[in-house]
Amino acid sequence: MIAVAGLEKTYGGFSAVVDSTFSVAEGEVFGIVGPNGAGKTTTLKVLAGLLEPTAGSARVAGYDSTDPAMRHHLGFLPEESPLYEEMTANSYLRFFADLYEVPRSVADERIERALDRLDLDHRDRRLGDVSKGMKRKVAIARSLVNDPDVLVYDEPASGLDPVTTNSVLEFTRELRGAGKTVVFSAHNLYHVESVCDRVVIMNEGRIVARGTVDEIRRRHGETTYHVYTDVRPAIDAKAGDGDTADVEVADVGDSEAVGDRYRTVVPSMDAVDRVRTAVTDAGGTVVDIRTREPSLEDVFLDLVGRPMPGRRGGAGTEEDDRRDRPGTETGEGAE
Amino acid sequence: MIRRASRRIRRVVGRSRRVARRARLVARVARWEASRAAGGVDRRTLLTALALLVVAGGVLSAGVATDVVGLDVERDVYRVGVDPGSPYADAVEADPALTAVPVERATLGSTADLIVRGVRADDGGDPAGVVVRAVDTPKGEAAAASFREAVEAHNERLMRAESNGTAAFPVAVTLRYASRGSALDDGATVGGTSDPSDGGTDGAGTEDADGTASDDGSSDSGAVEESGSDGDDDSSVDGNDGSVGDGDGDDGGDGDGGYGDDGAGGDGGDGASDDGASDDGGDGDGGDGDSWAVGNDGGSVSLAVPSLGGGAFGADSTGSPGSITPPFPFASLVLAFAFLVPMNFLAQAYGSSVLDERTNRRGEPLLVTPLSPTEIVAGKTLPYVAVAVAVTALIAVVVGSGPVSVLAVLPIALTFLGATFVGAVFARSFKELTFVTVAVSVLLTSYAFVPAIFTNVTPVALISPLTLVVFDLQNEPVSVGEFLFATGPTTATAVLCFGLGLGVYREEDLFTQKPVTRKFLDALAVRLATVGEGVRESPQTGITARVPGRVRGLVAVAFLTACTIPFVFVAELLTVAVLFALPITVSVPALLIVIAFVEELAKSVHLYAGFERGVLARTDRVAVAVGLASGFGFFLAEKATAVVQAVGLTELYVGRAAFGSVAGVSGLPPLVLVGLFLAPLALHGATASLSAVGARRDRTYYALALVAGTLLHAAYNVGVVSLHG
Repeated sequence: MIAVAGLEKTYGGFSAVVDSTFSVAEGEVFGIVGPNGAGKTTTLKVLAGLLEPTAGSARVAGYDSTDPAMRHHLGFLPEESPLYEEMTANSYLRFFADLYEVPRSVADERIERALDRLDLDHRDRRLGDVSKGMKRKVAIARSLVNDPDVLVYDEPASGLDPVTTNSVLEFTRELRGAGKTVVFSAHNLYHVESVCDRVVIMNEGRIVARGTVDEIRRRHGETTYHVYTDVRPAIDAKAGDGDTADVEVADVGDSEAVGDRYRTVVPSMDAVDRVRTAVTDAGGTVVDIRTREPSLEDVFLDLVGRPMPGRRGGAGTEEDDRRDRPGTETGEGAE
Repeated sequence: MIRRASRRIRRVVGRSRRVARRARLVARVARWEASRAAGGVDRRTLLTALALLVVAGGVLSAGVATDVVGLDVERDVYRVGVDPGSPYADAVEADPALTAVPVERATLGSTADLIVRGVRADDGGDPAGVVVRAVDTPKGEAAAASFREAVEAHNERLMRAESNGTAAFPVAVTLRYASRGSALDDGATVGGTSDPSDGGTDGAGTEDADGTASDDGSSDSGAVEESGSDGDDDSSVDGNDGSVGDGDGDDGGDGDGGYGDDGAGGDGGDGASDDGASDDGGDGDGGDGDSWAVGNDGGSVSLAVPSLGGGAFGADSTGSPGSITPPFPFASLVLAFAFLVPMNFLAQAYGSSVLDERTNRRGEPLLVTPLSPTEIVAGKTLPYVAVAVAVTALIAVVVGSGPVSVLAVLPIALTFLGATFVGAVFARSFKELTFVTVAVSVLLTSYAFVPAIFTNVTPVALISPLTLVVFDLQNEPVSVGEFLFATGPTTATAVLCFGLGLGVYREEDLFTQKPVTRKFLDALAVRLATVGEGVRESPQTGITARVPGRVRGLVAVAFLTACTIPFVFVAELLTVAVLFALPITVSVPALLIVIAFVEELAKSVHLYAGFERGVLARTDRVAVAVGLASGFGFFLAEKATAVVQAVGLTELYVGRAAFGSVAGVSGLPPLVLVGLFLAPLALHGATASLSAVGARRDRTYYALALVAGTLLHAAYNVGVVSLHG
């Protein structure tokens, strides 16, 4: 349904997108993630026909993205959705339906259905007087008035409260169920993970990873083991009877206090054994061992080298703790 | 055959349907824009504006109904006692500033400011003349001046109604031979007057009856002033003995060449004071006042002209402002200005609407719809054009002009909107837009209004469509050539302004904070096609899309250069209009340099944009090629300026300097003509190539090359002007 080949877009001397190639199958939800300035929005705007590629091509629903005929098959939701605030939701959506030459009766039915599904009240209030979430929903409804085959959404849940966000994400899943092809970008990687079939990660205009979320995790991420002990391995080892544990534990990383325990993150089971030995030698106990699969964000951080905007970066945060999953060896060390 | 015809019909029908469909979409956008614009004004403001409009319309309609609309601020200011049976009563009735009061009820100073009383001959028979007495106050003087004008105007009307034009407007020619460079001994100008009104009221430049009028070198009328006829009154008498134009001299007919064959001739000399009613000048009805007598020809209806003031700018003119007749069509100009006022408000509203689309990317979803930028802009602009037409038509009805005025104002409205559109697309904020709209308002209002002031003076006035409105208001016919000359450049400028703005009516320019200069270059570069190796080929639209690939780039360059001609033409006309009042020694050199610069800039700025935006390959070969193409395009388009001959602009010296290539070539040998015809082509090609070679390097080189090209071009212009003399 979408085929992008060797896409390049430059503004003056600045390359926003460099040699980007990907395709999206019919009925697929495709995510584009990346930090600010990665080229996500530029890519989406090329797909929407708003920008002309500097090089390469982008085909949408069988049309070149610069072909005006393509627009009949496309629904676009920009990152910001300022509306004509003097209009009501109904008149606004009818206006766009007219521009897509949708017959009045069909348009009315479509608008009604979309507004119902999106729980849009106050349909006859001026758009300037409704909440941001409502405006976003109206903008989403606008992208559907022409019943497009392809939907290009740029940050569809940006700035919305959790309830509205869930509603929008759920709606996106339903669109996939209805056979629509959806391409969307998001800052929040959880949104991408929860909705997208496939993902590309972009950085500085280039695609640095692609595939399903699991594929990317496997390909670009590492499983880690969190060993929880009641003594700090390295310090206690030092204070104890030798340097062996200190050296070996130091190799696998520093320990840190988590509540009344100490956590040591190691990359392999061998390392786990070394920590266990060191702790035991120091007179301590391994309380818990957990396996942690890499999140998309971990992969993202590895690839991009900086945290997602608005997110706290770095391993070992409380957020990581929440996302730790019980390992296969849970309780194994409880001696 | 039938199948082919049927296919063709199907194609035509299909195309018509498509056009109708697109038109419907444009209309839908227009309807939306109209409702949006109306919704942007709060209800209270709307009601207030409507109320004001209704009141203004009511006042104007009432004025039209009662025939009091106009600039008659002095309507019914002066009361004139006059016998209803007197021929002067008609003159008084016709002048809005005067109100007739029956002479038997008129008392000078209380019920009348001026009294016109018939004077009988000594034998008590038929009237021999009239005595005019005015209150001896400034108002009385003003009343007298108005009365004088009223009689003159009345005489003029009568003469114009005369079927025998030769009799009504005889021409007196006086030949005087003088050696070149010598001054006439009496200080008079060489040549008589050709204007009948001059003859009628003025004795200047003619040999008068007794030689007094011209011998003293004055341009004063031949009217005679006689004072103190009865004590505190000043009386002046304009005599008439019934002979054709003579006072009491030998050949008084030479004295004025004025109206008719009777009383008007009394202006001819001062001898008139000796006869007619002059003796009775002091026999008025007493009271304080000035009085003078106006002759009557032996009882026949005779409207002698009491020419005392010497014309509007005469030496001793006295009277009210209404007595001043400026050489400019003042009343028509003021009314014509009324057409411009709404344009400023429309431009403001339109600019705000366009910029509002750009604020917070509000218009982005529109760009994703199947509508093209042209259709979106057309839809957004249509309501404002419709309002402009409606308001113009309304004003035309109110001020009494016709369809010509509406058609003439439409290009002005389009130019206002086009220039505002470009400004609104280029502006980065409402602050910048305010500057743009003010600049557009001031510049276009000046461009439209200032030349129109000279409507009756010089053909330069026709550079403004508003001049056509002035013509229309004066009930003067407008030829098709004049109409096209006045409206063509403005219309083309409007179209090109929209074209320029549409070049950047796209995502990457509309919603970014690019500097105006970069947007301007973008707008030009987007209309070019690639030339040379290693440059990006982008999809072509418009005319260049139909041109084969090999020459497409060069054709696009030539076409874009040709499109600048209206701007060049308008700039040059404006320069002519600004400079023509200066001494030739200053105006012509300045003109030659300014025009050279304008033309060189027009030929090269888009080439610079092409190199900067990577549409043209940065090689000298490409630079020369596009330079020659640009020169060729300019040369072809420049030939279109031959239209200036149609309206006589080349009769002006500065006009010849500005449009020398099309003026003054008659009578030259064919070979020289061919050379003159092709010389501009060589010049434009050479200078444009020079600028292009500079432009392909960087901005500094471009500036230097542009200066060099300008100097070369100016030198050429000097040569052309010298050749044409």
